[in-house]
Amino acid sequence: MNDPVVDATNAASGGPGPAPSTEAPAHPGALLHVDHVSKVYGSGHTAVTALDDATMAVDQGEFVALLGPSGSGKTTLISIIGGLLSATSGTVRIGDIDVTSLSRKELTRFRAERVGFVFQSANLVPFLTARENLLYVATLVKTPKKAAQQRADQLLEELGLADRAKNLPEQLSGGERQRVAIGRALMNDPDLVLVDEPTAALDTALGRQVVQLLRREIKDRGKTGIMVTHDLRMVEYTDRVFEILDGHLTHVESPSTLGH
Amino acid sequence: MAGPARLLSRGELARSKGRFGAVVAALSLIVFLVLVLGALADGLFYGATGAVRSTNATAYAFSDDAEGSLIRSRLDESAVDTFRGAPGVESAGPVGVLLTGGTGPEGDIDLAVFGLEVGGPGTPTTLVDGRLPEPGEQGVAAVDTRLERDGVSIGSRVSVGDVSVEVVGFVSDTAYQLQPTLWTSVADWRAMRDAVRPELRGQPTAINAIALVTESGADLSAIAAALPGTTVLTADAVGLAIPGVAQQKSTLNSIIYTTLAVAALVVALFFALLVLEKRELFAALKALGTPTGALGRTVLVQAIVASVLGVIIGTIVARLFGLVIPANVPTLFRTDTLIQIAVFTLVAGVVGAAFSLRRIARIDPATAIGGTL
Repeated sequence: MNDPVVDATNAASGGPGPAPSTEAPAHPGALLHVDHVSKVYGSGHTAVTALDDATMAVDQGEFVALLGPSGSGKTTLISIIGGLLSATSGTVRIGDIDVTSLSRKELTRFRAERVGFVFQSANLVPFLTARENLLYVATLVKTPKKAAQQRADQLLEELGLADRAKNLPEQLSGGERQRVAIGRALMNDPDLVLVDEPTAALDTALGRQVVQLLRREIKDRGKTGIMVTHDLRMVEYTDRVFEILDGHLTHVESPSTLGH
Repeated sequence: MAGPARLLSRGELARSKGRFGAVVAALSLIVFLVLVLGALADGLFYGATGAVRSTNATAYAFSDDAEGSLIRSRLDESAVDTFRGAPGVESAGPVGVLLTGGTGPEGDIDLAVFGLEVGGPGTPTTLVDGRLPEPGEQGVAAVDTRLERDGVSIGSRVSVGDVSVEVVGFVSDTAYQLQPTLWTSVADWRAMRDAVRPELRGQPTAINAIALVTESGADLSAIAAALPGTTVLTADAVGLAIPGVAQQKSTLNSIIYTTLAVAALVVALFFALLVLEKRELFAALKALGTPTGALGRTVLVQAIVASVLGVIIGTIVARLFGLVIPANVPTLFRTDTLIQIAVFTLVAGVVGAAFSLRRIARIDPATAIGGTL
């Protein structure tokens, strides 16, 4: 337990957190609690620690960045938070749900209902239109058809895609595709939106637009967002920054010093 | 509301018509091939066995050395009375068979002449036009409808050697070894036999076999015991004992089943490739909370749709092909064969697609994140 442990208290206001605590959760009001989570691949001699005793808390309505180079463990952390990967030890709680205790089947349901994902390369269903891609996730939680259609249309409108609703992904630009993916992530009104390198396939200007939009949607809805990125330029759109290096998670107090 | 599987399968079928068109085309060709083979198998089988299927006889008695062949069997007419008294026999009647050439109104025809006590056991039950000869009536015959192609009509005369009979009726589906049959009295049959097989003259009481109408559940070996040196077989078994019939049936059936196995493989390979190509997408959909079962159902629904389309198109093409097959190729398109092949094709499609289910189940949703970096 000698690693720096980060507490996210008060981060929504942008101010520095209180004194680091080794006892978590130190922040009872937060939506997301990551509590001493480790992930070890393999065992014995060949064991690789991908994530070493990570602790963080993120408030509802916060949009945070998870920064780190390739192979640092940020993918592992966000996968564990999103219920895609099991932790070797530690717990992850989202609201009143202990994600680490859910069965495989419960995790599938949990992801459909409580988590919105935005993937690196949008990963839209290529043979469904923009609107159908949104409606698709609504079928996973059995949203009534009318309500789902209304919500999809409203989201597409907000995302500036109203006139692209009937287009297939291949007919959309990279930025438009990523915007559809954002709409899809918000479709089921999740508590948590997990965003994986959303700008990886976009140029800087477009990347900024997408992240700005993402921030606006998350903030307007009072969602909690975590964005994995290695792009320092996107950090300015987030409330707080966590950095992960060789499996160690730290809270970056002053993001402006990053990269120097 | 539409479930995820319906949305996915419908969307992909509607918007990836090209690739599904390819598998539907492959299945259509397979169904076409299987249906034509099936029609050939049925045509051969029905053409070979009609004379023993389309009669009122439930069993036939043969001499032991005949191995169930009407042609090879030799019995004496007196045996008919012996079998009439056998346990479980309701009635018995003589059967004489002669495979020969004859002459119709338009020239030479192939014939299988059946001599029997018309009206008694072994009489065809498939009269479609005219009448059967009356019991005891001589010089008249009912013939198989196949002879219509040779210009035979009611009132025509058909002769074998110097013996000629007048056609008084038509019966259908009564061919024997793919030859059209002529049904007449034992006396006329014998006269025809003597005319073309002089070596058999002087056997005025020889017949080939005895047609039996048995009580249901009758013990055939007990009936055979009534006359030592005889064997009794059901009419169905007699059909299969006709030389070549069982072999044709099993050969064509094995080709048909092999072809259907190919259909399963085609579907299996198609969906294996499709799933392989969609690994990334399926991982993302799983990450979004799609249950593996929904993805599996998507593939199964697509396989069923492709198989059904393949059956429909293949059937249409096969029936069109049936219209242009020369009449002397024995083909018969039967509805129950079609249903059987349709069901087998569907099963083959589902089984083929099922091979992809394990592959889908193994896709790890965690691979959706951090993919390329």
